[in-house]
Amino acid sequence: MTKRKVDTVKLLSEEEMLEIKLKRHRWYKVGMVYLVLLLVSILAIGPFFFGLLSSLKDNPLEWPPKLTVNQLKPANWVAAFRLSKAGCGKGFFGEFAPGAVIPFQVTYQVPAGKEPVIPQVVVPKRVPGTAGAALLIEHYAADYFRVSAVQEVKRESLADHSIRVTYEFTIHHTGDVVCDRLPLDITVPLGQQFVGATIDPNRPNERLGRVQSWNNLTAGVIPYIFYNYHRVFSENYSRTTGKNLFTSWIRNSFIICIARVLTNLLFASMAGFALARLKFRGKNTIFLLMLFSMMIPAQVTFISNYLVLRDGVFGLSRIFGVNTLLNSYSGLIVSGLVSASSVFIMKQFFEGLSSSLEEAARIDGASTYQILFRIFLPLAKPALGALTILTFQGVWNEFFWPLVVLTSPQDRFTLTIGLLSFRRMYGVAFDWGPILAGSVISALPLVVLFVVFQRYFVEGISFTGVKG
Amino acid sequence: MRRSIKEKTAPYVLLSPYLFMLFVFFGYAFLRCFYFSFTEYDLFAPPQWVGFKNYLNLIQDFQFGLALKNSLQFAVIVTTLQTVLALLLAVILNQKIKGIRFFRALYYMPSITSSAVVTLIFMWLFQKKGLVNYLLTSLKNGYRIIAVFFGLLLMFQAFLVIGEKLKKRPVSCFEPSYLFLAVVLSFMVTFFLVKTGIVTMVEGLPPVETVWLNTKKIWPRNHRLFGISYPLGSIMLLNIWTTAPTFMLLYLAGLQDIPKELYEAAAVDGATKIKTFWYVVRPQLRNITFLVVTMGLISTLQMFDQVAIIGDQAPLDAVITLAYYVYINAFPSSVSPKIGMASAAAVFLGLLTLIIVLIQRIVVNAGEGD
Repeated sequence: MTKRKVDTVKLLSEEEMLEIKLKRHRWYKVGMVYLVLLLVSILAIGPFFFGLLSSLKDNPLEWPPKLTVNQLKPANWVAAFRLSKAGCGKGFFGEFAPGAVIPFQVTYQVPAGKEPVIPQVVVPKRVPGTAGAALLIEHYAADYFRVSAVQEVKRESLADHSIRVTYEFTIHHTGDVVCDRLPLDITVPLGQQFVGATIDPNRPNERLGRVQSWNNLTAGVIPYIFYNYHRVFSENYSRTTGKNLFTSWIRNSFIICIARVLTNLLFASMAGFALARLKFRGKNTIFLLMLFSMMIPAQVTFISNYLVLRDGVFGLSRIFGVNTLLNSYSGLIVSGLVSASSVFIMKQFFEGLSSSLEEAARIDGASTYQILFRIFLPLAKPALGALTILTFQGVWNEFFWPLVVLTSPQDRFTLTIGLLSFRRMYGVAFDWGPILAGSVISALPLVVLFVVFQRYFVEGISFTGVKG
Repeated sequence: MRRSIKEKTAPYVLLSPYLFMLFVFFGYAFLRCFYFSFTEYDLFAPPQWVGFKNYLNLIQDFQFGLALKNSLQFAVIVTTLQTVLALLLAVILNQKIKGIRFFRALYYMPSITSSAVVTLIFMWLFQKKGLVNYLLTSLKNGYRIIAVFFGLLLMFQAFLVIGEKLKKRPVSCFEPSYLFLAVVLSFMVTFFLVKTGIVTMVEGLPPVETVWLNTKKIWPRNHRLFGISYPLGSIMLLNIWTTAPTFMLLYLAGLQDIPKELYEAAAVDGATKIKTFWYVVRPQLRNITFLVVTMGLISTLQMFDQVAIIGDQAPLDAVITLAYYVYINAFPSSVSPKIGMASAAAVFLGLLTLIIVLIQRIVVNAGEGD
């Protein structure tokens, strides 16, 4: 009796063991899946993430590349706030105003047996960024400053007998005009090593480490963190109209996108409906021609289209008093009123709807237009949503056609063409900060759109393909 | 039922905006391109008929040959790799676990941004002091650590699998649950070995400073991989990276449409995962593969943006494609436009696209026979 009992107990426990083991296996399996998913996602968004991070850096091409960014250290935020407060009384957006007294501390280290030398402090007349930006500067801080005597405030001996010294000085504003920036250079002899300062320098290792250099002590927190972004907006003005280039580009892109999304939605629904639900002569020919047009590269048609726009669509634009549609929004909008792929998507969708509604409406005496606008369009919300997203994305990212149509002046560009001019301007000097910042800004609307309307992106893609 | 005039004209009225686009910006443009290709034209003086001269010039143009070679290389390599990658990503994402939607969104990210943004980011990554060279340097200097990690991984996995085999249980060599254990264990051991200084980075090796992009006139002959210049190679990588996620979504939709019974039947027959994939899943995805390859070929043959954005940062001969050749002939920076040559090249590009898509179609149809 007892023996039997023991047996059953043993059997049960073995089963349980197996159960536990299987469960554990399942967990490990899921773990492996997540591991693979994670590794691949590094490949998928790693470049973006690193680009985003580096767009904040002083030098996006630093070697070795680091994941730590001075601009993201809270200590520097606090310092930037305090310095800017001292410079003009405001913490977030600062300047170097009359009456400002800016305290500053900097620490150096010298090897054992060497006597530290008091550093030289200079406010240089540095021109920020490209030469064009210099035209905008009215007053240089270099003309209105006085530096107090540099004083040693702290000295400590380290374990290896090297000496670490902290110096303090203040910068005074002596004039009565507001300077928008306060650059700073501190020079020490070779071998005297920079350790730290009130705020991290933008270039800690100029001239073999002899010069530490700051772009703007009184920038304020926001321009300090988003230095490159600030440059994107503040350094680019049109030579002819004086307009801020980057904001113009953003506006142009938005206007063209919104206009073309609207026209595409309307005209593609109309054409898609006609092709999907109506019987008429020439329907198949039109459809085949449409498919054919989707296969032909834009390079085949762009020369003629360029001429058509140049001559104002056979002179029709003269009615509105415009001679040419080149270099204008209307040119891009007219040449992109509705695309073959939009019509295709709407046709696919309308073909999938049941015909009973249509028949019932016809019996009630509804006209074709009423059937489209009263019955079919309200049902087409998912397709219209997907089409909105796809068109917006397509137009926002369009490159070849705007490059042909928009050549001058610069403030007519769209963002993608503007970025190309950034590449030409900053890329030559390996000044990648503004290029990356501009790229991030121009990618932002799509990323936001994607995060909010993720479903429509996915649906849109499958509308174009699988269901066809 | 008699139809009124309003009803009869309705289809054409509804179609009229699209027909305007189709006839003016496609049909008319298409015919004019043909016409221009037989003329000499500089956009201002009226075109002069020259017969086949442009086409003959095209064949003799060295740059055109380069463009053709680059375009074909680009189209074939990128289409192949991005199709494979898209399918692979779709298989990875085709899981029913928590957070899979998040990963799907993440993987799709490269496809939503513009070619301008992506190309600029890539150009920056491929600078001489860029991240790519840094990662290569780290790989080179850390080869001992990597070797130790993979050695340990192999050892642990073998240990676990052999242990299970000794107990006479069926187990595959790549059993994922064991693989996970092995990865975690070998990561921990490697980490420990590195921290205690038993395994170290190699010191004193020079950093990798491969020049991916340069501003010379001609790309050096020896800086090529299988005859592909480095700048073109990096554009290929970039293009695969940005397009694969779009096609991944198509494959994912296809994978989710495959009925569960098929997998179950295969499992009952004792087919391995790879065999199931090859004999069950792959034939089900044939239509999608056709679509993906067609769309891939059409778009890669037109590759333009990346070349235009890289511009003078790479020698023209290394990156020029047919689409770019057309553009620089139509809008050259210093001389007057050669619309005739540009149109002839564009006609060639259009024909090439049609022919390649046709060939692909024939190949697929022949493949369906067996």
